[in-house]
Amino acid sequence: MSPRTAIDEAKKGSAEILILALVERRSLHGYEIGRQIEDQSAGTLRFTLASLYATLYRMEDRGWLRSRWVEKPGQRRRCHYRITDEGRKILAAQRADWSRFIAALGLVAGVKPA
Amino acid sequence: MIDWRAVVMREARATGAADLDDHTAEELATHLEDLYQAARARGAVDAEARGEALRALRESRLAMLKESRPNLHRTRGLTRVSTWQSLRSGLRQFRTHRGFALLAVLVLGLGTGASAVVYTLVDGVVLRPLPYGEPDRLVSLWDTNVQRAVTHEPLSPVNFMDYRALPVFMDAAAWWRPDVNLTDPGLDPVRVRAIETGANLFEVLRVRPQIGPGFPVGGPHFGGDLIAVISDRLWRTRYGANPGVIGKPLVFSGASYTIVGVMPPRFDFPGEIDVWQRSRWDFHQHSRGAHFMEAVARLAPGVSAEQAATALTTLAARLEKDFPSTNRAWGTRLVPLLDEQLGYYRPALIVLFGAVGLLMVISCLNVASLLLTRALSREREMAVRTALGASPWHLVAQLLAEGTVLSLAGAAAGLVAATFALPVIVAHTPVPIPRLAEAAINTRVLGFIFASAMVTTLVFGLVPALATVRRTLTTDLKSGDRAVSRASRTLYHALVAGEVALAGALLVLSILLVRTVQQMTEVPTGVGNPAVMTASVQLSGRPDTDWAGVAADHGAILDRLRQQAGVRRAGASNFLPLEAGWRGSFGIEGQPPARESEAPQAQHFSVTDGYFESIGARLVAGRTFTERDTATSTPVVVVNELFARRYLAAGQATTAVLTTHMTQVGPLGRNLAAGGRFEVVGVVADVKNMPLGQANEPAVFFDARQFPFRTMFLTVEAADGPAALAALRETLRAVAPGIPLTDAQTWDQRFRARTAEPRMLMTVLLFFGALAAILATLGVYGLFSWMVALRRRELAIRVTLGARPRAIGILVLRHGALLAAAGLAVGWILVRASERALSRVLFSVSAGDVGALTAAGVLLLAACLGACVPAAIRAMRVSPVDGLRAE
Repeated sequence: MSPRTAIDEAKKGSAEILILALVERRSLHGYEIGRQIEDQSAGTLRFTLASLYATLYRMEDRGWLRSRWVEKPGQRRRCHYRITDEGRKILAAQRADWSRFIAALGLVAGVKPA
Repeated sequence: MIDWRAVVMREARATGAADLDDHTAEELATHLEDLYQAARARGAVDAEARGEALRALRESRLAMLKESRPNLHRTRGLTRVSTWQSLRSGLRQFRTHRGFALLAVLVLGLGTGASAVVYTLVDGVVLRPLPYGEPDRLVSLWDTNVQRAVTHEPLSPVNFMDYRALPVFMDAAAWWRPDVNLTDPGLDPVRVRAIETGANLFEVLRVRPQIGPGFPVGGPHFGGDLIAVISDRLWRTRYGANPGVIGKPLVFSGASYTIVGVMPPRFDFPGEIDVWQRSRWDFHQHSRGAHFMEAVARLAPGVSAEQAATALTTLAARLEKDFPSTNRAWGTRLVPLLDEQLGYYRPALIVLFGAVGLLMVISCLNVASLLLTRALSREREMAVRTALGASPWHLVAQLLAEGTVLSLAGAAAGLVAATFALPVIVAHTPVPIPRLAEAAINTRVLGFIFASAMVTTLVFGLVPALATVRRTLTTDLKSGDRAVSRASRTLYHALVAGEVALAGALLVLSILLVRTVQQMTEVPTGVGNPAVMTASVQLSGRPDTDWAGVAADHGAILDRLRQQAGVRRAGASNFLPLEAGWRGSFGIEGQPPARESEAPQAQHFSVTDGYFESIGARLVAGRTFTERDTATSTPVVVVNELFARRYLAAGQATTAVLTTHMTQVGPLGRNLAAGGRFEVVGVVADVKNMPLGQANEPAVFFDARQFPFRTMFLTVEAADGPAALAALRETLRAVAPGIPLTDAQTWDQRFRARTAEPRMLMTVLLFFGALAAILATLGVYGLFSWMVALRRRELAIRVTLGARPRAIGILVLRHGALLAAAGLAVGWILVRASERALSRVLFSVSAGDVGALTAAGVLLLAACLGACVPAAIRAMRVSPVDGLRAE
């Protein structure tokens, strides 16, 4: 497995926890979510438009997120995503999973949290 | 300003995601604009910024958006679908498909309307309680005789007094029916229906007169002072609703009664009665062998009908032992009063209700299958709706709403039809159904219609909805796949097969009724001259003792009648065919005298000379009566063939001497021949002397001059009906001006009236059966047309592979025949399952009648095959090229 694909695989699995973590405190629209993931990971994590929205829709379908159209004067209307109670539970569970996973990686493969 | 949305859609089309939904397109467009604005904000020129946004779009695989969440309520906030919107959309659907909607509403309206009418009748006639106090505690009593296989015979007054004394009854009242001529001075003479009854009748029924005291409460139940109660109808028509009528005289049967009450409107127990006269005689003072009274009893508190029946059976067995000569083989049974009053109509209406229920289900199935085909052909539409963000629930709501619109419209159409049809039906019913006039559309009927609309909504909405939704979820919408899922096909087949099965059941049922009416009309009555005019005449004015005078009066009427223009023959009898005469025991001289308990019984009739000839009865041996048989000549009788066969030795037919102890029949008739010896002078072929469906009994005919009765039926054979009627009127005017002519009908008319009830049921059922067959045929036609259209490709391939058109046509027809056969089998099972309910409306035909099954089968097969023919022809014309075109 090349280093590139390792990150791709990790992205797939981590997209949901990233999004949940971002909308945990306040609701965001799709562009903001994509932007913040890219910015905060310093460009390491980037989603295409389709995969970003596909993930959002899937999460909404599972009931982790709730979307709402917000209109502001002089702006295009935007669809804002907010975490649901179900989403918070998932986030907590995923955080615990990832912590264990990263700890395991550290122990076994010598990977250290940045 | 860049139209980012157009950009998104262009890209979507280019990458095979053309049906990108609204929400996604909007969100992507916003995202692109944000990217563009961010680039511009960083200082990029327009072209650079635009390129950046477009790159972001192009590196996406838009198709994955479609797959990512097929089930999500994508349209939330954009198009929330409300019930109201669904309903409006349903209405819109039918506005654009008028023909379809009209057909569906028509079919449904037909089903609902017919069911509403029949339910109204059932509700008004069968379900509504009788207008008496605690009517469900009332029973009517009838005698039965196992030897004669009769179960509905009048009671003997003496036996009745024993029944009445049983503690299982609170009270019981009995009566008999002497029709009377009202001859009050100053008013036109009129014949009315009257009963002479125990005075406690109204107490048993718990009904009080609206005016006047009525019969004295608490007795006596009979008495020498003559009192009578009249009906509201008579009070209004004859006395102008004058309240002063109480205490006025009412003159009939040569005596003057005092009116002591007027009963409330619509009270005419036991049926179309206008005068209730209190009995003049003690019911104990009569014969146990004379069965002529009817009775109603009220069960004692806490006693069930079964307990009362058991008590009656025990009593009857004791009476049989104590009085073998009169009570041997006789028993008693009780019938709930409502069942008794409804007679034939209760089972008939229940059968009718079952039939109309089948019709209703057929029309529902029909519309459901219509909707199903429409739903299947609307799959593209449903797919687009799904793509636009409609969830399965929205689709179901949509289809349910359409179903609601349809069934509400159908129910409304049915209600309107029922409202208009009901008065017409009530006014034109050829038979007097008890309580029919009071049947009206009420809240229960409305509830019934509403409930059936609810059920039909569910059926209409859900069946196609489930079929469609299942399909929408499992089909690749883009492919244009024309295959229809197996489940939908099976469902459609099941709907149509259901229709055919129910139509089969209705057809079998209606043909069973046709056979019933056929059997009834084919029963030999012994009346060879169906055109003979018959009318009833009751002589009054003579004192009760002047029987020779009564006989002379009748003789004078007949003499005059025979002189009228056009009259060929005339006679009279105290009973018409199909009615039983007075039963009495007799002996034959020279045969060992039977023990009293075993003396044979026969029906006793009194007829005049000319009677047998006028009705066309066939003389088998000897002679009939002539003018030379008089009160003073040798007493003679004629017997029927059955009597001769059973009681007379060969060759003895015209030499035997019959002895009888019957000296009188109440106040009705008197045997004037002293000594009770009668020479048998002739034998006539059996004239039916029991109701249809019951076996004839031995009969003895006395000469009316030797055994006169007050009330006689005149029988006139004339050139034609009007001539006979004119002759009768003219004769009575000349000979007996005070006497009304009643009930003038030809024998044919009377006989038709006897079969009018099953005839009416037959007509209605035939109508329903035909309707059901038409609906089922339409269903079959629809199914096969659809099937052939669907299988066009397969058929084309078969043709390409060398199948001959004939073989293909046969394939389709065989399919149709199979459907008919399956339908018929299920229909027949349905009919057999309801055999018990049917047995009361069938006559000489069993529910399993092979003839009826065959006839229904032929009809159904013909209809189904006929409905397949257009589809078969279309299938045969499929050319190999069609297979390609269909793709």
